[in-house]
Amino acid sequence: MSIEWIEPVLASTTSIGVVYLLGSLGEIYAERSGILNLGLEGIMAIGAAISFIITIAWGHALAFLVAGIFGILMGLLLAFFAVSLRLNQITVGLAITMLGLGLSGFITFPTTRKIILQTLNPELPGAVLETQSVSMLPSVPIPLLKEIPIVGPMFFNHNVVVYITLILAPLMWFLLFRTSAGLKIRSVGENPGMADALGINVFRIRYLTCILSGMFSALAGAYFMLGFQPFWIEGMTGGRGFITLSLIILSTWSPLRAIFGSLLFGGIEVLQYRLQLFGLGATSPQFVLMLPYAIAVITLSLLSVESFRKRISAPAALAKPYYREE
Amino acid sequence: MFKLERRVYPSRKTSGLVIFLSFLLAFFVTGLIFYFLGVNVVQFYLIIGNVFITPVLFLQAVFRSIPIILSSLGLVVAFRMGFWNIGAEGQIYLGMVAATGIVILHVFYDAIPISLMLIAMGVASFLAGGAWCLIAASLKAKLGVNEVLTTLMLNYIAILFVDYLVYGPWRDPEGWGFALSIPFPDYATLTFGGHPSVAGITISVAVAALVYVLFKYTKLGFVLSVLGKSSEVAKYAGMSVGRATLLGSLISGGIAGLGGFYVVSGMIGRLRPRASPGYGYTAIIVAMLAQLNPWLILPAGIFFGGLLTAGDALQSLLRLPASTITVFQSVIFLCIVLAEFFMRYKVVLKR
Repeated sequence: MSIEWIEPVLASTTSIGVVYLLGSLGEIYAERSGILNLGLEGIMAIGAAISFIITIAWGHALAFLVAGIFGILMGLLLAFFAVSLRLNQITVGLAITMLGLGLSGFITFPTTRKIILQTLNPELPGAVLETQSVSMLPSVPIPLLKEIPIVGPMFFNHNVVVYITLILAPLMWFLLFRTSAGLKIRSVGENPGMADALGINVFRIRYLTCILSGMFSALAGAYFMLGFQPFWIEGMTGGRGFITLSLIILSTWSPLRAIFGSLLFGGIEVLQYRLQLFGLGATSPQFVLMLPYAIAVITLSLLSVESFRKRISAPAALAKPYYREE
Repeated sequence: MFKLERRVYPSRKTSGLVIFLSFLLAFFVTGLIFYFLGVNVVQFYLIIGNVFITPVLFLQAVFRSIPIILSSLGLVVAFRMGFWNIGAEGQIYLGMVAATGIVILHVFYDAIPISLMLIAMGVASFLAGGAWCLIAASLKAKLGVNEVLTTLMLNYIAILFVDYLVYGPWRDPEGWGFALSIPFPDYATLTFGGHPSVAGITISVAVAALVYVLFKYTKLGFVLSVLGKSSEVAKYAGMSVGRATLLGSLISGGIAGLGGFYVVSGMIGRLRPRASPGYGYTAIIVAMLAQLNPWLILPAGIFFGGLLTAGDALQSLLRLPASTITVFQSVIFLCIVLAEFFMRYKVVLKR
C-alpha cells in the first residue's frame, strides 16, 4: 500500500480524535474530583448548535466564545444540583443530556433559527438564513514540520484548535499530576472528607471542575461542527459524548494517555469509513463502530480485577455526593 | 434567614406533595424558557392538554406510552434493589431482536407453530432483554463494576447490533433494499382487543400487578428491597446478595425487553433501525415521577406518551420541532430530581 493512502487517513484520525480529546480534558478533571458528568453528550450537542448559529451571525472566533460560555452555564447547572444540593449525579447528568439535545434541536430548527439569526444580526442576507452549512476553520500548516512524512500530515497540517488541544493535553496532565493544585483536585475525588479536614474547599474545587467539564464539552461540540463536519444535522453528535466517557475510562483518567486513546478512537472511526469505501466490511461496519463502547466495558471490568485495582483504579469518590457533617 | 433541616424519613404524603409541586414547577419553567424563545406558551399548553381530552388522541397517547410504561416497570425492579440500570433503551432493542428472530425462525425455517407464536416472542424478548441486563449485573456482582457506565455503553452496542441485522442478514429480500426486516404476519402482531393500545394496556396492567405482587408478597421482593436500602444489611442477614442481584436484573431487563416486543409487534410490525426514539430514557423519568410505585407508572407513562403525541400536533400547528417536547421532558426530569432535595430537607424560617 502506498503512502498516499495512509496520510489522509492519519490526518483525519487526528481531526476526529481531537473531538474526543478536547471533550475529555475537562471531564477528566471533573471525574478526578468525584463528579461524573453524564451531561457531556448534551453539552456537546448544544456547543455544536450554538457554534453553528453564531458562525453564521458573527464568525468563527465568537462562535467558540459563545459556545464556551454556554458550556460554563451548563456546568454551573450541574454543579448547583450535584454539589450544592448533593443530588444524584447520574439523573442530573442524564437530564442535562436530554436538555442539551432538546435545546440544540430547537434553536437550529429552520423557523426558530431564522428568528434567532435575524435578532443577532439584522443585516444578514436572506439566503444565509436558510443555510445548513458553515465555512470550516481554515487549516494553518506549520512550515517545514508539515513536510515530514506521516507525522507532518498527522499533526502539523490542521486548524488552530487542533494545535491548542494537543498542547493543552500535556499541560493539563502536568497541572493534575505534578502540582499542588492538581493534588488537591485528586484528593477531593479520592477522599473528600479527609480533604475537607485538611482545609481544602471541596465545594469550590468541585464547582470549578464542573465548569471546566461543561466548557470543554461545549468547545468539543463547537470544534466538531467547525473543524470536522461543517453542516448541521439534528443529533449530529450521535453518541460522541458517551464515546468521550469511554475514552476517559480507557485512558484511566489521565490527559496524557487520553491523547493516544483519542487517536485510537479517531482511527477506528476513520477506518470504518475507509472499509466501507473499499467494500471490505461494507456489510458490517457496525461492529467496528461498537468498539469504543465495548472497549469501555472491557476496560472497566479489567480495572475492577484485584491485581489491577491495586495500581490504577477509578477515583474512589466518583459520582458520590459529599456531605459535610453538620 | 432560611435554614435547612434534615428530614429523618419523608412521609408518603410529603413525598407525594413535593413531587406534585415539582411537576407543576416544570410547567412554569418550561413556559418561561419557551416564552423567551418566542413560543406562544398558551397555545403550546392548550395543544398538549387537548391530547388528553380528545378520545382519538388519547388512544394514540396510550399507544405510544406502552413501551415507556413497560420499560419503566422494569426500572422499578432495578431501582428498588439499588441497581442503577440506565440500560432500558438497550434492553428494549434486544427485546425487538428476539421477537423478530422468532418471526424469522417461523417464516423461513417453520420452526414454531402459529398458535405459540406470540407466547414464544414474548418469552424470547423477555429473556433477551434480561440477558442484556445480566451482563452488567454479573460484572457488578462478580467484579464490582459500576453498572451505570456499563448499562449506558451496552445501549449503544444494542442499537448498532440492530443496525447490523437490518442492514445485513435480516434485511427483507423483497424490501427494495430498504433497511427493514420482513413484515410480521398477522398472527405475530399484538392486536387482540381490536386496537393495539388495548392489547398493550392489558399487558402493562398485568405486568404492573406482577411487579406489585413481587414486592408485596414474595421473598425475592423482600430481599430486593433490603438490598436497595443497604447491601451490607442484606449480607449480614445472610441473604444471597449475588443471586438476588442477578435475578432482579434479569426481571428488570426482561420487562424492558417486553417493551421492545411491543414496539416491533404492536407498533411497527417489523424491525427497523432506531425503532425506539429513547423510550428507555423517558422511562427513567416516569419511574422517578411515579416514585417507583408500579400502579402510578401507568398514568405517568400515559402522560409522557401524550407528550409524544402532542409533539406531532406542535409540528403541524405551531411549526415547532419535535425537540420542543424533549426540552419539556428534560425540564420535568430536572424538577423531579430537584424534588429529591425537598424530600430530604425541610426549609424552615429561622428568626
